[in-house]
Amino acid sequence: MAESAEQTTRARRRFHFGVDRFSGIYIWGLIILIFALWVPETFLTTTTLRVLASDQAVTGMVAVGLVVPLACGVFDLSIGHVLGFTLVATTWMNVHTDINMAVVTLMMVAIGVAVGLANALMVVKIGVNSFIATLAMSSILQAFILFVSNNRQIAGEFSDEFKRFGRNVVLGLPQPFFYLLALTLIIWFVLEYTRSGRYAYATGGNPAAARLAGVRTDRFVTVSLVVSAAVAAFAGVVLAAKLGSASLTAGPPKLIPAYTAVFLGSTQIKRGRINAWGTLVAVYLLATGVKGLQLSGTEVWVDDLFNGVTLALAVGIAVYRRRGDSPGGLAP
Amino acid sequence: MTDLVRAGAAVAVSGGESLLEVRGVSKAFGPTEALVEVDFDVRAGEIHALVGQNGSGKSTLVKILAGVHDPDGGSIALEGEEFDPRRPGEARLRGLRFVHQDLGLVDSLDVVENLALGRGYDVRFPRRISWRHERSQAHAALADLGYELDVRSLVGSLRASERTGIAIARALDGWESAARLLVLDEPTASLPEAETARLFDVVRTIRARGVGVIYVSHHLDEVLALADRVTILRDGARVGTFDAEDLDHDRMVELIVGRGSVTAGGDGALPPGPTEHEPSLVAQNLSGAVLRGVSLRVGAGEVVGVAGLTGSGREEIGPALFGAAGRSGSVAVAGRVVPAERPDLAIAAGLGFVPADRKSLGLVASMVVRENVTLADLRPYRRGGMLRHRKERSDVDAWLAMLDVRPRDQTLGAMRLSGGNQQKVLLARWLRIQPRVLVLDEPTQGVDVGAKAEIHRRIVAAARDGAGVLVCSTDSAELVRVCDRVLIMQRGEIGAELLGRDISEERIDRLCLS
Repeated sequence: MAESAEQTTRARRRFHFGVDRFSGIYIWGLIILIFALWVPETFLTTTTLRVLASDQAVTGMVAVGLVVPLACGVFDLSIGHVLGFTLVATTWMNVHTDINMAVVTLMMVAIGVAVGLANALMVVKIGVNSFIATLAMSSILQAFILFVSNNRQIAGEFSDEFKRFGRNVVLGLPQPFFYLLALTLIIWFVLEYTRSGRYAYATGGNPAAARLAGVRTDRFVTVSLVVSAAVAAFAGVVLAAKLGSASLTAGPPKLIPAYTAVFLGSTQIKRGRINAWGTLVAVYLLATGVKGLQLSGTEVWVDDLFNGVTLALAVGIAVYRRRGDSPGGLAP
Repeated sequence: MTDLVRAGAAVAVSGGESLLEVRGVSKAFGPTEALVEVDFDVRAGEIHALVGQNGSGKSTLVKILAGVHDPDGGSIALEGEEFDPRRPGEARLRGLRFVHQDLGLVDSLDVVENLALGRGYDVRFPRRISWRHERSQAHAALADLGYELDVRSLVGSLRASERTGIAIARALDGWESAARLLVLDEPTASLPEAETARLFDVVRTIRARGVGVIYVSHHLDEVLALADRVTILRDGARVGTFDAEDLDHDRMVELIVGRGSVTAGGDGALPPGPTEHEPSLVAQNLSGAVLRGVSLRVGAGEVVGVAGLTGSGREEIGPALFGAAGRSGSVAVAGRVVPAERPDLAIAAGLGFVPADRKSLGLVASMVVRENVTLADLRPYRRGGMLRHRKERSDVDAWLAMLDVRPRDQTLGAMRLSGGNQQKVLLARWLRIQPRVLVLDEPTQGVDVGAKAEIHRRIVAAARDGAGVLVCSTDSAELVRVCDRVLIMQRGEIGAELLGRDISEERIDRLCLS
């Protein structure tokens, strides 16, 4: 009796999973199909593929890094400015010093760690709401961006070696795409297959209950904020190598697409749970749609409209279908 | 001032006339009869206490009046006219007002805003709130009750009795109609003893205005000091309604507990007696919000119960021992010291804790049953830094089978299970790690009969396997069934202790009330 009931629920679940969990991948396929029929001469090219993979690698890294604090139930709004700062600082170091770029990269990641620790100090030790604490940090970092750059675009010639770090093509795809892939794999593995990952999700799901089950929730929040900031810092270095110059406004606008991708991604792969692969799929789903629209010659504003509508629809449908059916909880 | 004049008039008009008449009201929840044909009446200008043990039906009666529960039978009349509490807005319109135990205040708003939550603001053209007017109104409403306070201060910063006062003022205030009948549900539960006197003055002021007051309380001394009449409920039925003058403390205990007159066992505080059990848990001098220097020990293989009224410190014992809440004093498990506010170290020392509030403090809603069961210790499934999901799954399945969790589906979200099954999942979480001492707070609250029996079996079995178990519970029958020893909490201290054959529901209930 109990077993037959178990079997039916399992069968039903398997059916749901096929449609729900991978709906993003089907929709992605549909988007590709639509544009392949609409503008085949420009859309179905290796250039499009390469541009997509390359352009989204930086946003993708920021988004996948953001998965960690959101899984632990805290916001990190400072990542856009962390990226913006290391972009400017990397370029500045190149122009004004002779330090080896590998060392510079490490320094930048260290800055990211420091920012993460400062965020954690406010959130964990003092108890400031993470939304407010990291918002304050964003503004502080904006000041640093302007200070270092003197409010001017910094341009200088990078060494060829460093340029390759951001632009080299491996197996037909740009190198930064593989950084993103590696990062996604690591974060997926840690969150899904280790004790720490389980504790991180417990911390995000119900901090009070997690604490009473022996989880050091403070530590998980701290580490998660350090990870997201360090990843964003690294992404800033990659962007510097890719662009070859430092735009003052390139960093902060990555924030909203990153959040969009994480929340859209939480409807994928592991339903209702913020996760790394889902985020990666979401990043490329959105980027493919936007790229296709651009190639079809639509107006500029259509891109933002597409991003916003897709997020609202995907999360809206997921929440509606799952009403009263936990596990749920898309936002921290 | 005008209010007092009006109050005087009200008494003159309706002195002692019947306000509320409840006739033959019954209510059953499934097979449990919570109320059986209960009669109850309240007169204008009297304080009518409603007393009884947990489960006697007094909160069901209050909830029926508040429109939360639908009565199965019987009739309710307010001022001679039929009254249907289920009709939205009816209670407020007819002058029936409630102050619930949790008061329902918003800490981050000030006094004026909290008062306005009940009735809204008076607005001037163009829909502008006149704050000066609101402030003077709020000030007047509180001054009528004898409170002089800055109405601009945040409610969260006020003393407990002032907060109670605001909740009462809000209940009395209202543009629909004047308050005729006020229900106070355990108003002193969160009040320090020194501040209760002030509350009594407020309640008497309200009575003087001709308002009827239903006063629900566990504390018999309060009832005797304050009430004009007392209605006693037991097992869902009315024992009787008495003039407070005709009652004394002992007589009331007799009526509440029932079951003939046996002399109470364990008068006064027995010292924590030596037992044949080797102590697993030793706590000394625990103090907290209510607790005052409590020392206790739990032996290996022993089940110790903690009984006590709400507010006696019973509900604080579990969290204090485990370090879930702040406390002073020392706790040691098998000689290992457990520091305060470090549940992770408490677990490492061999403590397990099933909290009373399983939804907010026990389960992680966004996780499935499997993850909830294994959360307290994932080490057995770790190999080379990776979790072995297969072993975890088979382990959890065995536990779900052993505790008969239904459905036996570890991939369900934890909140989709019924209360009893949720509690079993939590029990599995702790039994799995084989704690030296397991502390359970209200282990069967909101749990069906079948699950309850299973949980009791598991508690006893865990003790037989050598664990020390501490059960904090308001359910005396539960304590009788599982405990070797029962401690009775009174005003933050261990007031009495019952051993072995001396443990009976009646003795526990009596000692809780004394």
